Amino acid sequence: MAEWLALVQNETIKVWKKKRFAFVVLVLLVLIPVFVYAQMKIAQNSAEKFKGDWRAELQNRITDNTRALGSERIPEEWKKWRRALVQQLQYYLDHDMNPNTPNAVTFTRGYLDNSVTLFIPLMVLAIASDLVSGERSTGTIKMLLTRPVRRWRILLSKLVTLTLYVSLIIVTNAALCYLISGLAFGYQGWGEPIFTGFRVSGADVNVATVHAVPQYMYLLMQAGLVWCSAMTVAVLALMVSVLVRSTAASFVTMMAAVIAGTVLTNMASSWHSAKYLFNVNLELTDYLQGTPPPIEGMTLGFSLAMLGIWAAAGLAVSFAVFTKQDILN
Amino acid sequence: MRPTSWLWRGLGAVTLVCLIVLLAGFGLALKDHWAPSAGMAIPEASKPPAAAAGSLASKPELKITALGDSLTVGTGDETGNGYVKTAAADLSKAMGKPVRVINNLAIGGLRADQLLEHLDDKGYVDAIVQADIVMLTIGANDLFEFATDGGSLAQGSEISPEQLDSRLPVAEKRLSDVLAALRMLNGAARIVYVGLYNPFYDVESLRIPASDTIQKWNAYAHGFAAADGNATVVPTFDLFESDIGSYLSSDHFHPNEAGYARIAARIVQALQ
Repeated sequence: MAEWLALVQNETIKVWKKKRFAFVVLVLLVLIPVFVYAQMKIAQNSAEKFKGDWRAELQNRITDNTRALGSERIPEEWKKWRRALVQQLQYYLDHDMNPNTPNAVTFTRGYLDNSVTLFIPLMVLAIASDLVSGERSTGTIKMLLTRPVRRWRILLSKLVTLTLYVSLIIVTNAALCYLISGLAFGYQGWGEPIFTGFRVSGADVNVATVHAVPQYMYLLMQAGLVWCSAMTVAVLALMVSVLVRSTAASFVTMMAAVIAGTVLTNMASSWHSAKYLFNVNLELTDYLQGTPPPIEGMTLGFSLAMLGIWAAAGLAVSFAVFTKQDILN
Repeated sequence: MRPTSWLWRGLGAVTLVCLIVLLAGFGLALKDHWAPSAGMAIPEASKPPAAAAGSLASKPELKITALGDSLTVGTGDETGNGYVKTAAADLSKAMGKPVRVINNLAIGGLRADQLLEHLDDKGYVDAIVQADIVMLTIGANDLFEFATDGGSLAQGSEISPEQLDSRLPVAEKRLSDVLAALRMLNGAARIVYVGLYNPFYDVESLRIPASDTIQKWNAYAHGFAAADGNATVVPTFDLFESDIGSYLSSDHFHPNEAGYARIAARIVQALQ
């Protein structure tokens, strides 16, 4: 056990020394202020228009979306999505609750919702993609494998290291986002109520299970779900990293899969079997928020099962290949 | 101790804490999804301020709420202003004080009975209660929309004078319900109802029957406004008679930018 822990230590330190995590933090430090600035501009515009009357602003969103429902040119699938959105916003308005109180917690919530499909997977890949293929391209894999340790234990130590770094990345994302956006929007808002539990089927929203939770709890649940989809991406990236020799190829393969997922979620609503792909199921936070899923019939249970199956298959392939494959030059 | 060891201890501890927190969050999300608790109580929110009584001239700032159908949306106006924004801007200039559109809640294709349902919505109530001026257009879809095919006259549906006349009483009842409901919500606001015009004035076969119905409709609205005392019907019929083509947009039903500007000018005159 102690020996194996030393392996994990070795891997963790290796990733740290490669400055992968530092790179992620650097990217966040550059990009989050950009997002905050953009959001600030939007907030200023609407404050000018609505004079801080959030009810008027919310009603305006409802009216805008209702108007779009009348248009002949909008596809039926989008209309469903809008109809559900209108019902949800109306629920907030009827209960006199502001879904977007202006503060850093709300911003972080929105940030996590938007980054779960692309931005966070990208950062996960920065670490996961060269865990094995990186060792191959530098040749250090031979040193690693000549140690008197079983191969599966080596891969397991890499997997544990990856899990730890994925967790660190998500918490860092939320923390940096909160700290930076707080400068613009204020650090309060942890206790503000927010609704969760909307059940969307087709264009109808079932509000029977809707209940209010404080934002800190919402953020915690959201981060947990983001972690789940990030881990699936990480595990699959580990598999690709085992299968492919070069880090670049490994990174590009996974990035293409993730991007394909975001493209599909926007257009695959009529192709129903797409819901069995992992990359269409990454937006777990949508179920928390009550946004209609990309393909009808998808539920939180379904998405979790899909991610679980893909991750399990990825692990099985990784371990099977890594323990058997010959290491050649 | 070697520095690497310190790094490992710090890193290991921090990442482990992150992992535990996220796992807890994940578990909580699952529990909340399948076995939700009662949830927290929602704090009472403050009410929007009601409009003050008094004449428009005596108020330091005027707030406008706009309701109704595609004409109030501004369909056909390429600038997107419609008559509401133009009237607000012109009124502000004419009266020398700020005029603000609180919200434009119009929806294209809306009928008077649908508007009446919306008047129960909280968002509508909030906007109407605060308003000093309520502007609306409604009724065109009640008269000219065909329930069977959903198409309007503009889309080539056939319509007979008898049909129009048979619709009139139903639509009139709806209009009076809408105006009465508005008055119930806000006793002080000036209600500005923009009258109908005949978009088919240049179509030989429709000029007389459609004009006839529309004039009856406008007269009915006038009667209601006179009884109310603080409501105005802004006539637009004469604006779309001669040279109608240069004031209608390409759908030959909604006004274009110039058409809306003429309606807005009328509204400003009526409010001064």
